[in-house]
Amino acid sequence: MTKFDENWAAAEVAKRKWMAENGMYSEEDEKANCGVGLVVSIDGKPSRKVVENGIAALKAIWHRGAVDADGKTGDGAGIHVQIPVPFFYDQIKRTGHEPRQDQLMAVGQVFLPRTNFGAQETCRTIVETEVLRMGYYIYGWRHVPVETECLGEKANATRPEIEQIIIANAKGVDEETFERELYVIRRRIEKAAAAAGIVDLYICSLSCRSIIYKGMMLAEQVAEFYPDLKDERFESAFAIYHQRYSTNTFPQWWLAQPFRMLAHNGEINTIKGNTNWMKSHEIRMASSAFGDLAEDIKPIIQSGSSDSAALDSVFEVLVRAGRSAPMAKTMLIPESWSKQAAELPEAWRDMYSYCNSVMEPWDGPAALAMTDGRWVCAGLDRNGLRPMRYVVTGDGLVIAGSEAGMVPINEATVKEKGALGPGQMLAVDMKKGLLFHDTEIKDKLSNALPFGEWVGHINELAEALSKVTEKPLYSGEELRRRQVAAGYTIEELEQILAPMVEDAKETLASMGDDTPSAVLSNKYRPLSHFFRQNFSQVTNPPIDSLREYRVMSLKTRFGNLKNVLDESGSQTEILVMDSPFVGNAQWEEVKTHFNADMVEIDCTFPAGADQDALRKNLERIRAEAEDAVRSGAGHLLLTDQHQGAAKVAMPMILATSAIHSHLTRKGLRTFCSITVRSAECIDPHYFAVLVGSGATIVNAYLAEDSLADRIDRGLLDGSLTEAVARYREAIDQGLLKIMAKMGISVISSYRGALNFEAVGLSRAMCAEYFPGMTSRISGIGVSGIQKKVEEVHARGFLSDSVLPVGGFYKLRKSGETHAWEAQSMHLLQSACDRASFEIWKQYSAKMQSMPPIHLRDLLAIKPMGNSVPIEEVESITSIRKRFVTPGMSLGALSPEAHKTLNVAMNRIGAKSDSGEGGEDPAHFVPEPNGDNPSAKIKQVASGRFGVTAEYLNHCEELEIKVAQGAKPGEGGQLPGMKVTDLIARLRHSTKGVTLISPPPHHDIYSIEDLAQLIYDLKQINPTVKVTVKLVASSGVGTIAAGVVKAKADIILISGHNGGTGASPATSIKFAGLPWEMGLTEAHQVLAMNNLRERVTLRTDGGLRTGRDIVMAAMLGAEEYGIGTAALIAMGCIMVRQCQSNTCPVGVCTQDESLRAKFTGNADKVVNLITFYAQEVREILASIGARSLDEVIGRADLLSQVSRGSAHLDDLDLNPLLITVDGAADINYDRNKARNVVPDTLDAEIVRDAARFLQDGEKMQLSYAVQNTHRTVGTRTSSHIVKRFGMRNALQPNHLTVKLTGSVGQSLGAFSAPGLKIEVSGDANDYVGKGLSGGTVVVRPPMASPLVAADNTIIGNTVLYGATDGFLFAAGRAGERFAVRNSGASVVIEGCGSNGCEYMTGGVAVILGSIGPNFGAGMTGGMAYLYDPEGKAADMMNMETLVTGPVTVDYWKEQLETLIERHLEETGSRKATEIMQHWDSELANFVQVCPKEMLIHIPHPLTLEQGAVPAE
Amino acid sequence: MAKQPMLKFVNIDRHMPNKRDANVRKHDFNEIYAEFTDEKAAEQASRCSQCGVPYCQSHCPLHNNIPDWLRLTATGRLKEAYDLSQATNTFPEICGRICPQDRLCEGNCVIEKSGHGTVTIGSVEKYITDTAWEKGWVKPIAPVQEQDKSVGIIGAGPGGLAAADVLRRAGLQVTVYDRYDRAGGLLTYGIPGFKLEKDVVMRRVEQLEKGGVEFVMNCYVGEDLSFDSIRGKHDAVIIATGVYKTRDLADPGAGAEGIVRAIDYLTASNKVSNFGDTVEEFESGELNAMDKKVVVIGGGDTAMDCVRTAIRQGATSVKCLYRRDRANMPGSQRETQNAEEEGVVFEWLSAPKGFAGDPVIGVMVQKMRLGAPDATGRQAPEIIGGADYVEDADLVIKALGFEPEDLPKLWGTDGLEVTRWGTVKADFETGRTSLENVYAIGDIVRGASLVVWAIRDGRDCADAVLKDLASTAAVAAE
Repeated sequence: MTKFDENWAAAEVAKRKWMAENGMYSEEDEKANCGVGLVVSIDGKPSRKVVENGIAALKAIWHRGAVDADGKTGDGAGIHVQIPVPFFYDQIKRTGHEPRQDQLMAVGQVFLPRTNFGAQETCRTIVETEVLRMGYYIYGWRHVPVETECLGEKANATRPEIEQIIIANAKGVDEETFERELYVIRRRIEKAAAAAGIVDLYICSLSCRSIIYKGMMLAEQVAEFYPDLKDERFESAFAIYHQRYSTNTFPQWWLAQPFRMLAHNGEINTIKGNTNWMKSHEIRMASSAFGDLAEDIKPIIQSGSSDSAALDSVFEVLVRAGRSAPMAKTMLIPESWSKQAAELPEAWRDMYSYCNSVMEPWDGPAALAMTDGRWVCAGLDRNGLRPMRYVVTGDGLVIAGSEAGMVPINEATVKEKGALGPGQMLAVDMKKGLLFHDTEIKDKLSNALPFGEWVGHINELAEALSKVTEKPLYSGEELRRRQVAAGYTIEELEQILAPMVEDAKETLASMGDDTPSAVLSNKYRPLSHFFRQNFSQVTNPPIDSLREYRVMSLKTRFGNLKNVLDESGSQTEILVMDSPFVGNAQWEEVKTHFNADMVEIDCTFPAGADQDALRKNLERIRAEAEDAVRSGAGHLLLTDQHQGAAKVAMPMILATSAIHSHLTRKGLRTFCSITVRSAECIDPHYFAVLVGSGATIVNAYLAEDSLADRIDRGLLDGSLTEAVARYREAIDQGLLKIMAKMGISVISSYRGALNFEAVGLSRAMCAEYFPGMTSRISGIGVSGIQKKVEEVHARGFLSDSVLPVGGFYKLRKSGETHAWEAQSMHLLQSACDRASFEIWKQYSAKMQSMPPIHLRDLLAIKPMGNSVPIEEVESITSIRKRFVTPGMSLGALSPEAHKTLNVAMNRIGAKSDSGEGGEDPAHFVPEPNGDNPSAKIKQVASGRFGVTAEYLNHCEELEIKVAQGAKPGEGGQLPGMKVTDLIARLRHSTKGVTLISPPPHHDIYSIEDLAQLIYDLKQINPTVKVTVKLVASSGVGTIAAGVVKAKADIILISGHNGGTGASPATSIKFAGLPWEMGLTEAHQVLAMNNLRERVTLRTDGGLRTGRDIVMAAMLGAEEYGIGTAALIAMGCIMVRQCQSNTCPVGVCTQDESLRAKFTGNADKVVNLITFYAQEVREILASIGARSLDEVIGRADLLSQVSRGSAHLDDLDLNPLLITVDGAADINYDRNKARNVVPDTLDAEIVRDAARFLQDGEKMQLSYAVQNTHRTVGTRTSSHIVKRFGMRNALQPNHLTVKLTGSVGQSLGAFSAPGLKIEVSGDANDYVGKGLSGGTVVVRPPMASPLVAADNTIIGNTVLYGATDGFLFAAGRAGERFAVRNSGASVVIEGCGSNGCEYMTGGVAVILGSIGPNFGAGMTGGMAYLYDPEGKAADMMNMETLVTGPVTVDYWKEQLETLIERHLEETGSRKATEIMQHWDSELANFVQVCPKEMLIHIPHPLTLEQGAVPAE
Repeated sequence: MAKQPMLKFVNIDRHMPNKRDANVRKHDFNEIYAEFTDEKAAEQASRCSQCGVPYCQSHCPLHNNIPDWLRLTATGRLKEAYDLSQATNTFPEICGRICPQDRLCEGNCVIEKSGHGTVTIGSVEKYITDTAWEKGWVKPIAPVQEQDKSVGIIGAGPGGLAAADVLRRAGLQVTVYDRYDRAGGLLTYGIPGFKLEKDVVMRRVEQLEKGGVEFVMNCYVGEDLSFDSIRGKHDAVIIATGVYKTRDLADPGAGAEGIVRAIDYLTASNKVSNFGDTVEEFESGELNAMDKKVVVIGGGDTAMDCVRTAIRQGATSVKCLYRRDRANMPGSQRETQNAEEEGVVFEWLSAPKGFAGDPVIGVMVQKMRLGAPDATGRQAPEIIGGADYVEDADLVIKALGFEPEDLPKLWGTDGLEVTRWGTVKADFETGRTSLENVYAIGDIVRGASLVVWAIRDGRDCADAVLKDLASTAAVAAE
């Protein structure tokens, strides 16, 4: 037994509850990712082999899960198998009963309260009562034998009593009915337990077909814990298994997977929207499928469910209502169909179109293993963001899972090895004994019902709307008044609206946001400013909505949504638009297509009325909306256009959400559409907030009128219709980007989901009008908003104001406060130039005298005790070491500025961060004067530019930049004009050619992927600490917990106001949270989970004075990033034109002549950091602290001193200021050793290769491997780089490592020259990641009967960020092959979707078919596709590419040489055939070259082109 | 990417409008700079870097939205540029001509600081509003609603006129009193025509008159009309008299004939050369530099105006004595350069010690050097012993700065508090003085300062007056 016991669990539960109420922690933010898989016998015959394979597979995915601090408590694992009837008959017999062999038997696997025997008994009674009530017979209960030794302390403390109830089908109903009634019984039990106040009753499974064993053990311990599974009688035809990796550290047994129908690896990003919409769908769904029993099963999704559990619940209802598992998957997680590269078959399109019209997709990364009892399927989400490899064995098994090789198979008889692509499915019908591949199952499904006929009712409006001529509503004086009343400014019209209309794109801006949060501002701020966009980091990836546009959809359904479960054409009597944006005249057109009544709701309230006018009128519009829908209206129009001198417009966000939430509560929302006409709405963010609040479509009429006005004034060419079309394009792109940054690709699932966090909206108001939206810092409420809108209304309608000039994006005297203004910058620069602490004090005083900008400006520091003499406080030198200059890339910064920062920080023993984009190897040796110009922290960002084995070895710390404060969830682009010779060299690209950083790291789609990358980095550099840079957001604390479990050493929490070299203006302004919130959440949640001591916390984003540093320390940060201030010290004056390459002071430009203007030097930066330290020291002395360590995490030393402006209901910062129990004992040691990761095969290799590493002798080593051998070759490469350098003189195969078997992830990552790895077998994801000159060969075993070109041999994301070397693989690769390759040469025999994405260099030869979206964002390198059937053209994303036959000798030779080498290395049959007929086969190759490269390549692409000069 | 119309400083150099050749311009009193052509104005405006923190605005007393109207100018949107410029400045075309931009906006221009040459803000500002006048966009004030409150403003200089403009636009009844025969204050009689042609000022005065501002000219308060009677007539009074008392020299011989005050000299010249008036002292030669050896004492803008006026009047030689060096002079560097081009000789580090003859025939000069900097960083001049000499002169103009007159005494208003320097004690933001409903602005509060500060004060004070009167009205109504 353990020392914790249930008191620990109870205390833990209480602690969590208190934290959720008082602190920054929120249970809803907890996330889980995992490994998943299935084994199924195609013929449906149960066997022991299947179960054993399932257990074996669980043992081979331990590395995809996480272990708690006790080393034993896992995040959960489990297995779902058929009920082994003979086994249970034996159990029944042992209790003295005789099994009724003529009747079906059901088994329920039940978690009961363990220590509270009273509750346990109540549970049994409830269960028995409900079973009997439905008319079934109970054999009895069985106590499930368990081995508790293998559990961790926490897991054991929370372990439930695990029992089985065995039931007989006494009613003799058929199997389907039995299953459905068992489902109803289960739901009744759950409700009864809840009613009885019992929370610990959980039914893992209750079925006559299958049973689930799961719990909080490590994956490899499942069968140890449940000895049943090892029983020889325990046979099954399928096994679905799952290993969970959770950000949560409180062991909750019921959240372990598999769930009743499915096991899910990934995350549902649209969970909030899906859950909301289900509340409306379930009313009609339940009644049609369950009739009188409908009430028993509602709500379909139980509160507290994880996203996977929620998906499972809905999936289960669909199945219980008669859908097959493959159809349920198709409805819930359809593939993207409307914009496919090669048009899908019409029947499929009709089927998807039907699905789209009845159900919002559940969107997000998902690898699913599911069963309905008859079908067992594996499936992927539309983006294919999780791996799913499968094999079909010679003995009739299908084995699918997150990794290849989890179950050893006989390679000599294997029939097929594959990988599922985006949206694909693999299904086994166990009843008929058939295996269906993706095309087969979709053909079967789509032909089963007359989808084509049904979708004939869908009215696509795109065509009709494109013919409408746009007209303004208001002009002249009336327009101006309305503009002023809507809070428009000249800045907004000129800098935000005009560029959108001119370019059909959002404006770019640069540097960080230094204006007050909306709640702290004394200016009028539209309600949208209180909403911060959510975004993905770590647990799921953002999407690149530009390069991967095919998966994105703004298709907007319109009309009365019918019963999801009906299978008829009635559901499709709907209107469909291509976007939620509608122009003024288009709206008039849309109305004519309505087939139901429309009711207009006037969203204004009287001017000059009482203080409660807005609230009363919100109630009025809610009532009007409800009445309208109840009387049969199918469409609501909410508008503020009736505003005028006597009527004040409501903020339409508030009006929309008030109505949407009201109708949802009443179950009426799916009966109507909601059109919103809003004056205030102008930028994509406002549109997004409206749609997120529930608007079906949005008409920004005043923005459109403003465009008409520009045209009248001759400022815009063309017609209003054209202008609106471009505006719409910009808004559409903006919406896609906002959705994509949180990984959502379909707007119907984004709608109404309120995927925002409010900062400074009153909690009470959010609960009433924005239910489900987080607002942890309470603030302005309805009456405050009323006051604000009345003020701005008065300016517009009751006086003669002109449009204000603005000042929100760039400082204007009359506009919003900016922290950085002329005087403060001047003082800072003078202080640093003259080394004058006196001037710094003036600067600091000036900063403090500003009106409140940040939350911390409302806080004050309390003394710890009497002040101490300053001599007793830790030294400046010691304090300075805690400072970091955060990642600013060489590319954004000029080389001079970049180096200055490195030199300065190194001089004082602090650290600088290289930023993305590599670093000049010349920096790795000291300057003649002794200065070290090499950054101590090297960044690993999504572009992986310049990330070589050498780079990774020249640092003390590696920072994985998951997100950036200024634009979390977005990628970046370095325009060609900034790519100089130097930058091109460091980034392994070509001068003048654009470089794209993707939004996600393509090797981090989930938390276990991050753990893998951290593992890789700790392999390539054996001493380095790994930092993970996150951006403050709600939920960052739980993500941080997951990151710690992934073995990171340092976590950086960046505030939203960090700088940027170029980002869309609205991203800088509206995404991410202040660091105060993110840091405290991370600190609190880590402390709560006893993980705080394992990491160092760092923060950055607008730290401007010593006071800021002390406050950051008190809120939990040990280290501090100084970005903007360091730039200012070097001469930056916030021109905010970084994106233009015209920085007049040479800080942020690559232009030679401007760089010459750079006046910064290391001394100034040293002075800056010294001043910070000195000021910190003074503050510490004044409050009686002798070191920074004494105040770290001491939020109790802060107090709120101001409640903000008078109009606020309440600005409550207390959630920032709580202290977690036990936090006082945390030992903050920044010098602790790094978190250890286990060794891999390289430990052996390095030992065995001693002669090579010591003496440079040529060697050959050989090993058998399995998928748990990860990152093979990487540590060895680290030794090579250290011993021989990266540009060494070794032979390419100086050390040859031969491997046999299925090798784990990251094979050959960062391999250095001299190392050659040969695999006989196959490999998983990330082969050749960051390849730095090594050679990797993967070929099937000699005995394999497989056709290499038809079978998958290497996984996803191969050669990500490779800079040099070779890869030869005799087989297909998965998705995102050669993504961001910038130098490696590779030959493979086919690949999945998004091949060669963002590639900037190297050569890829593909001897087989390619997946869609090939070459998206490819700006460099060369690809050759073997395409005898001419299918490749459709699959390519031609935006940046040119293609043609291979005609020029130079290229012919390049191609031929590579194929010959491939043949030589792998013995490929395909290569043999091609080479035999080379002269004729050459014509079957397509050469793919990026357009931008045409003028840079050494030889022309075509003979004709050769005649013209290359300009 | 749409065409980026701005940030052209990278490849376009700074150009000022054409300056007339010194040999031509020194024979008349017309302005020396030509107007920008439309293309040139747009091109020069397009050099603006559109800074995130516009230092030009920060260092403009009026906080003009400079980057915004530069952008509008660069894209040919002059009407909007005018509206925007006019919104923060009552007389943009005047500021464009006479502001020492090199010390304010242009001197702080970011691209200037990094060595690219400033954006020619002043010239563009002038161009915008001159164009507006030309196109007829400048309209007389037409208040939406007349109010019966009235305000009296003493002094028709830039501060008084700026206040009058704001108050009148709000519908108040405004009367401006001034001791001169023409309105405009120093704009009219202090600043020579070659810097500011007088029709530019007169059309503004006319605009105000047409808009309903009443002018009472030739009115010496305290003599022609008592201050109390003005207070009695109005709901509020704004004192905007400026500073007219010349700092004097006490050196031996300073009382000699031929040693004159700058203000008298410049006023006479302005009346004669710009308005064609007949001025006795000019006719008599007392205030005419023709054929004389002229020495001007002082290094400020007034001194610059005097030396260049003397050149135009046909002086045989013009010298300027200043006790510090070029780098430390208070006057505009640009004006100094213009003066040198026109033939003025500067004697730096030179101070008068006494004067020879009566009428004067020479200035006794002692040479100076700069000593250690004081607390403010300014170096104090020290005398170099034994380096004295005599500078021949038959007209000496004292341009040593102005001081306030003793208003309480002149006007018999004991309640009006003044500082120890004699300026009126008033709140810098609102102009409120120790007397109820009496406000003071401009030089009489600040001491001698810039036109642009007077405009700023006038506008701020007018806002305060409006607010104060509105609140008293509200109280009265209750």
